[in-house]
Amino acid sequence: MREQDAYKDLSDLFRVEDNALQAQPFTRQVMHRVAGQKRMRRLVVGSLGLTGAVIAALQLPQLMADWVGVDKTVTEALTTAPAELGTAAVSQLSMAAMSNPMWLAIAAGAALCVFAVSTFERA
Amino acid sequence: MRSDPDLAHAAARGNEASFAELVRRHQGKVRGMARRLSGSDAQGDDIAQVTFLTAWQKISTYAGGTFSSWICTICWREFLQWRRRQKMEIEFDETAEIIPFDRSADQNEMRMDLTRALETLSEAQRVCVVMCVATGLTHQEAADVTGWPLGTVKSHVQRGVALLRTRLENANVA
Repeated sequence: MREQDAYKDLSDLFRVEDNALQAQPFTRQVMHRVAGQKRMRRLVVGSLGLTGAVIAALQLPQLMADWVGVDKTVTEALTTAPAELGTAAVSQLSMAAMSNPMWLAIAAGAALCVFAVSTFERA
Repeated sequence: MRSDPDLAHAAARGNEASFAELVRRHQGKVRGMARRLSGSDAQGDDIAQVTFLTAWQKISTYAGGTFSSWICTICWREFLQWRRRQKMEIEFDETAEIIPFDRSADQNEMRMDLTRALETLSEAQRVCVVMCVATGLTHQEAADVTGWPLGTVKSHVQRGVALLRTRLENANVA
């Protein structure tokens, strides 16, 4: 005999009470709040993503300027590399790459977006 | 008809219609459980709503098994949080006394029905009877949900059911 069979009569009484509860209004209320939560999550994630994109876009002019500098440095470094036996050119190239702030901005924007998504996405 | 795990997996992929179906299927049990635990229809429905909202957020953590048991676990936690907020922390133990709900004099004069009979049980007995008898969880599931030992749950259910029968019989005689 299953343990529930010992009190099936009482269970049936409770079930009658539960079945009498109207499902539709309650379900509608819950789904309304679910939709509200979803909208809010999209809004927050979208806003943070947009903020990250704006920050990245604001860095674009500097990127273009620095890109030319890096490109030139790379070209010069490659040209002079054989003559300078590599070491000086590599050092120069590393410094140029490190001094470019655009990568920092891109990393910050990406991190912000990832943070926003991971925070507001369902577990 | 789609099974609960199927609906839960669809809901985990963001399908709101599947989740709505789960809510429709289980709202009776969850609302009944929350109402009986809190002793109030309005508060019980609030707890049930929060339970389903939490379930929606955590639906991807549902790893199969009985959906009733999973949702009842969430309901139990939401009930405990609600009670903590109400600053009505009560120790659940063997010596727990009967804790009557606040009722007006008029209500006290009302005929003793199932709900009133339930409210005369001790807190621990009421919790176990609500979970096992009213909600339909097995003793093991109720023990898992509450974190209480299986033997304790069985004992509370047995005593609670006996008392409930006596109260109902007395009410019927009266």
